Order: sequence, then C-alpha cells, then structure tokens
Amino acid sequence: MYRRPASFALLAFFAVTVGLFCLFAPNFATASNFENLMSGFSFFAILAMGQAFPILLRGIDLSIGAIVALAGMVAFDLTMISQVPGYVVLPLVLIAATSAGTINGILIVYLRLQPFIATLATLAAYRGLVYAISGRLLVPKLATTPITDPWIVGIETYFDIGGALGISDYIKLPWFPLSFFLMIAILIAFQILLHSTKLGRDIYTVGGNQEAARLAGINTRRITVITYAISGFCAGVAALVLVARLTTATEALGTGMELTAISAAVIGGVSLQGGIGSMFGPVIGAFLLGVVLIGLTLLGASQYVQQILTGAILLAAICYDRFLVIRRQRRTAANMGLSV
Amino acid sequence: MTEEIKNSTNDRRHFLKGIALGSAALSGAAVGLFGGTNASTGAFGVQQANAAAPERLKMAFIKYATDTVSSAWSKGIEDVLTPQQIIDYKLLDGQAKAEVQVSLMDTLIADGTSAIFLQPVDSVALAPSIQKAKRAGIAVITLNIDATEAHAAHVEMNHYFGAMDIAKALGDAMGGKGDVAILNAPPGIIIRDLRTNGFVDGLKKHHPGIKIVADQVAEWSRKKAQDVLGTILAANPNLGGVYGVNDAMALGAVDVAKDKGLIGKLVIFGNDGETGALESIAAGELTGTQFTDVHQQGRFAASAAVVLASGMVPATAFKKQGHLLMPYVIATKETVGQIGPGQRW
Repeated sequence: MYRRPASFALLAFFAVTVGLFCLFAPNFATASNFENLMSGFSFFAILAMGQAFPILLRGIDLSIGAIVALAGMVAFDLTMISQVPGYVVLPLVLIAATSAGTINGILIVYLRLQPFIATLATLAAYRGLVYAISGRLLVPKLATTPITDPWIVGIETYFDIGGALGISDYIKLPWFPLSFFLMIAILIAFQILLHSTKLGRDIYTVGGNQEAARLAGINTRRITVITYAISGFCAGVAALVLVARLTTATEALGTGMELTAISAAVIGGVSLQGGIGSMFGPVIGAFLLGVVLIGLTLLGASQYVQQILTGAILLAAICYDRFLVIRRQRRTAANMGLSV
Repeated sequence: MTEEIKNSTNDRRHFLKGIALGSAALSGAAVGLFGGTNASTGAFGVQQANAAAPERLKMAFIKYATDTVSSAWSKGIEDVLTPQQIIDYKLLDGQAKAEVQVSLMDTLIADGTSAIFLQPVDSVALAPSIQKAKRAGIAVITLNIDATEAHAAHVEMNHYFGAMDIAKALGDAMGGKGDVAILNAPPGIIIRDLRTNGFVDGLKKHHPGIKIVADQVAEWSRKKAQDVLGTILAANPNLGGVYGVNDAMALGAVDVAKDKGLIGKLVIFGNDGETGALESIAAGELTGTQFTDVHQQGRFAASAAVVLASGMVPATAFKKQGHLLMPYVIATKETVGQIGPGQRW
C-alpha cells in the first residue's frame, strides 16, 4: 500500500537520462553544471515533496506558487522595511507560509470545498495579498535595493566538499549549495514521518480510503489540515531559498511553480488516486525535469521542445499511474471472483 | 506471498522495458533532432568540432519574455552575429520569471558562453548571476533594463530624456492643463523609474499646470491596462491624458478610449515605438510615442559583444560599466511618416 517499485525504476530512468545528456550535450558533464542543477532545482524538489502530501490524500494544492510569493514578500518586508534581524525573520516566514497552508486545509475540511477550488481561490487571494503588502510598491526605493542580511542570503552558501575531503586534486566535484542539504534534511524528515510514525500511516490510510479511515477512528479532518500545512511549510522553505538566491522578492515570485511541483510529484510516482508514493519520487522527479531543461538548453533545443518533452514525460507518468490503478482493480476483482 | 513477488517482478520488468524504450527514444531524439547531418561528410548525429576550424564562440540572448521588442532586438543581434561565421547564437526565453533567467544564466556560464545579452526581469534579482558571469570572465550586455550589479555594457532606449519629451508633447496636446494618469510597469525595474521620473520631471519643467491623478501598475499588458484605466476613469471622469510607459499599455488605453467614445478627447502617449503603435498614431487614435529603432539597438549591442569577444577582452577588464543611449524620435501624427518601413518592428 505504501510503496511502489517505481522509485528504483525512476532512479534508473533518471540515471539513463543523465548519462545520455553527458554523452550528447556539450558541457553537461561538468562540476559547475551539476552545481547549477543542485542550486537551481533543490527548491523545486522541496516544493514537490510538499505537494506530494495533498496528492497522497487525493487532493492538490494549486496555491503553493502564491504562498512562495507571500512568504518571500513577508521576508522582504520584515528585513527591508521593519529591519527585523534575519534569525527572527526565518521562523516568522515559515510560520506565515505554514499558516497559509493551514487555511487551505481548513477551507477544504470545514467548508467542504474541493481542494482544486479551495486552493484555486487562495491562489488568487494570496497573490493579491502579495501585491497589497509589497514593500517594493509601498517604498519604491527598496525595489532596487538587495537584501543583505547574512541570515537570509547565507542560505545561498556553497560548500567545497571535494576540497574538505582533500580529493579536489584528483577529481573536480561541484560545490554543494546549502539549499541541497536543506532539501536532503527535509527528505529524510518526511520519509521518517511517513514510514515510521502514526501520522504517516494515517496519511496513507486516509489517502487510500477516507471513509474506511474515518470508520477506523482516524481523525481525517486533522490529517487533511496537517497535509496542507506541510505543503505551505515547504513553500515557505522554498521561498527562503529563492529570496536568498535572488537577494530580493518579486510580486511574481513562484508564478507557475505549482504546476512544476505537481508534475515532479506525479512523475515521481505519487499517485493522483491517493495513498501511494514516497518522498524520494518527487525529489527525483524534480531533478529529472531539471536535467531535461538544462540538457536540452545545452543542446540548443528550442524551449518549446523542452516544454513538449516535459509534457510528454508527465503524460507518460500519468498514463503509467492509471495503468497501475486499473491493473490493481482487475487483480482485486479477480481475487474476489468478480469481472471488471 | 508468491503472487506479490510475481507482481513486483512484473512491475520491474515493465519499468525496465519502459526505461529501454524511453532511453532509445531520448537518444534518438537527441541524435536526430539536435545532431543533424554534416553537410560536408554526410555523417549523422552530433559532430566534434573540426580541429582545423577557427574556434567558435557562443553568445546568447536571455529575453524578458516573448514580445515584439525582444524579437526585434534578437533580429538585430543576428544581423551582426551571423556574418561573423564563427558565432553560435541562442535566443532563450526568460518567461517573465527571475528564477528562470537565473537558471538560464547559470547554464550559459557553465557552457562557456562568450557574451550574454540580457533583458533582466528584475534589476536586483539578476545581479548575483551577473556577478557570477563576471567572475567567469563573461561579458554581460543588458538591453533596456539595467541591473544593480555593474557589467560590461548597458544599451538602452533613452528612457529618461525621451519621457521628458513625451511629457512636453502630451502637455502641448492637452493645452498645458488637466489631469493625467500613468499606466506603469511593476516595481523593481530601473526602466520604470527612469520612464516615470522623466515624465514627472518633464511635466514639472514644461507643464506645471498638469496634475498626475493616478499612477497604477498595468504590468506591461494591454489587457491589464484596459482594466486599470477603466477603474481610473471611473474615479477621474475628467481625465485628459494617459501615459503608458510602454506601447502595449498605451494601446490598452486606446481600446478603452474607443469603447467610451473618447478618441480625440483623451490624449494618449506610449513609449517604445512598435509598429502597432505607429499604425495607431497614423490612424489618429494614439496621440504619440517615443520611437526607437530596436533592430539598430540589437546591432549596437551585438557589435560591442563581437569586438569584446574577438578581442579577448574579459569582463573583469572594465573599470566601469559601459553605457549607450539610443537616438529616438517622438512620433506623432505629424512625424510618424518619417519612420521608414525598414526601421519599423
């Protein structure tokens, strides 16, 4: 119920794709390119992991791009207008983003709205709120001033692991961005949460069959709110990574990122039918999209070809998910002596 | 239990088949789509560079988004780069997202690009990437939108002084009095400040009797400008003039003026000088715009890049950022005919 063998196969497909680009794309197999991949797509992996939680519950969170912008603007306003120190800003931003996610969950649970509708509405509301609180609009001079607080911009720090291990004379390793380690830490924490805690087991149970979970005594409302809060929290972390990378926050930050995060999660084997998927899949899915985008750019392919190929990979992942669902239904029916 | 193992094995088998097919498709695509055929040898696929051939240079333009201005710049850039015979040129779409532009910058830096033409989505957000490119010795030439990090050169329309001239022409057309609204760009871009400040200063200097009653963001968009101006007109029914900081927003204002029967009453000026705006001026709808030959702007930027790259001048050699302001014309119904078909974009 919890696992899908896709993770290993997806990893193999990822490795094959990387291998092909290493062979054919000029300058793909370079340390600096892998550094770019890590710094440019770790935040997508974080977003995809967050998105996986609502999908595990047969839901969806369309508002994460807007939450990224909202959290980014909270960081900007607190740092640039209120002059709040970075070590205070960091938790406040995460609280703001988690609260935005929690509101999504509350709307879904207590107003009984479809997740698609609820998060579509909050997407618009949160994006509007970004413009309303934008320090760049309120104090135009700040729009062209970078954030310099070391706690914020320090997130965009790189570590020379090769140098630290004393192997840089033999092999040129990429410098690892802090955002990559953040992503790994979140991956480990969520993987433990899903597979070694009651909360994780409840999430899979509710995602597999909400009514059965309710009858089994699981507080499905609480679980739903928690998953959307986790999605918001991940958007907050991604926002901090982005703000550190850009040294500012724009009103349009995160636009369209929800679609990339959903794609990465689905490509990573998180079933849209709920109840199936792990945290490794969305991470591999996000980096797979990154590899394709960077590889094709280096090959000189049109960005429209990149979009078509990304769409094709997503479509293949959805079709495969559907294929597994139908096969599972047939087997269940066969075991019960029914015909489907 | 045995059934589960069997199912798991089948799953893996399906996936391995999928991987094999996917890999074959991807490699086929990579070789077929991107490799091409060598005209001289007839060999198929991705070719290694001929050792005897001169070293090829890579240049790329990361545009803000797909629009007429950046397409015209790219054409001007290609006009200069193509005859050099040794330059591989790429046009990349920033999709109006700073994070996309940053990622593209990283990729180009890793790819050993000699020069990058850039129209930043945000002047601050692209600064760290420009700094990284500079450290790699890559010349970055920005077009129209400057960055807060100094770089090789900035080639721009004459935003500030052009906007001052627009203010004068708009004020003249309004008879030196009345209310005007500005349809503005989003904040965070220096061009916005230059085009706005130039206009405001121009009104102060030439037409102090004209009052700015609204300054609202319409995000460079014709559609958005229609919505924003509709709201402004509801609050200011006696509005006499509109200044769109680009032509798309000014043409959005023209759409509203047409709907409300205000053509001839509402003085509307744009900025840029795209063909649609010039045609609208000739038709007596848009009052005027600042016209810049952006093909020429692209050629100037490309010329600078070729000289720097072929002369092996590293980005770090610059003591200060180079700066080039483009010549311009304030196009009105009286002057629009002077702009030739070859200059229009």
